[in-house]
Amino acid sequence: MSADLLVIAVLLFMLGSALAAALLRDVVTSIVAFAGYSFGAAVLWAVLRAPDVALTEAAVGAGITTVLFLLTIARTTVSRSERFEGISLRSALAVVAIVVTVGATVPALPAMGAAGTPILDGDVSQYYLDNAYDETGVTNVVTAILVGYRGFDTLGEAAVVFAAGIAMLLVLRQEEFV
Amino acid sequence: MSDSPADERAETERDGEAAEGQLSRPGAERPPYVESTIIMTTVRVIAPFVLTLGVFVMFHGASSAGGGFQGGVIAATTVVMLGFAYGIEPIAAHLRNEHLALLVLGGLGAFLLVGFGAYAFGGTFLEFTLYPIHHGSKYSIELVELGIGVVVSGVITGLFFLLGTGLDSAYDADEPDTEEDR
Repeated sequence: MSADLLVIAVLLFMLGSALAAALLRDVVTSIVAFAGYSFGAAVLWAVLRAPDVALTEAAVGAGITTVLFLLTIARTTVSRSERFEGISLRSALAVVAIVVTVGATVPALPAMGAAGTPILDGDVSQYYLDNAYDETGVTNVVTAILVGYRGFDTLGEAAVVFAAGIAMLLVLRQEEFV
Repeated sequence: MSDSPADERAETERDGEAAEGQLSRPGAERPPYVESTIIMTTVRVIAPFVLTLGVFVMFHGASSAGGGFQGGVIAATTVVMLGFAYGIEPIAAHLRNEHLALLVLGGLGAFLLVGFGAYAFGGTFLEFTLYPIHHGSKYSIELVELGIGVVVSGVITGLFFLLGTGLDSAYDADEPDTEEDR
């Protein structure tokens, strides 16, 4: 029960920071609120026993992304006219439409941790859990799958990061920022 | 530094009022880098620990939560913290883009080398179990994680400095007469 209360509290916190990030006019405040949202997501992953994802979310989402956003914003112009964004009817309608559409799919999902879902029942997950240590010698099954079983995918990921880095060097080094 | 924090805050508030209803550029209002003894001391104390944590997460991803992607970001945070504490320009003066590119290339190269190395023992690409050393599979997976970590930290460090350099000089160019204040 206490875990449920914690999840509810974190979800409320995330909702609040998401609204603040969307509605606040000052971009710097908005970025900090967005970092708070990422931090809430990281706590949520940790509570739901996904420490690898939590670590990634905390380091990348709440940490580095915020720094890069702030650096980028320092170069741009910001309107300081009001405290909150004005909400137009059209964007409010779009938000409501998206929320209703996505919300309608939520009841179709199985309950969290319910027995009989493919992730718990399927042969694939059980195979990894049974054989990961014997076949790769790695106790963290996430890493075993990431590098051992799905090494080719991970090589592709590393190559994407590498290519992005090289492209960034080529593009950003050339021009003087104004 | 002539401005006390209270003065600075009052000035910011005045600026806010003056800029009411018009476009302003945060980078042009105040220097992006302000020398602060507290931040410098804090960063000097905790930077080694953060770097150690990053390397630990990178290496220990095989046995606990973590891995190359997360560890690389945490390790790169060290350089970002140094940039915040001592100014981006002085740190960037020590970094060359070619070195960063070589570092990133080395990380990817380590991954590929470990992958292709399996051919030498009669296996196929990325077949780690064939390495004829004790726990060969585990150690090669850790080496791959280290390679990923180097790629990620190199790219993030480069992104930080490419976005960050020029901020100070842009400020200097805008308001050259405030140089003695800092």
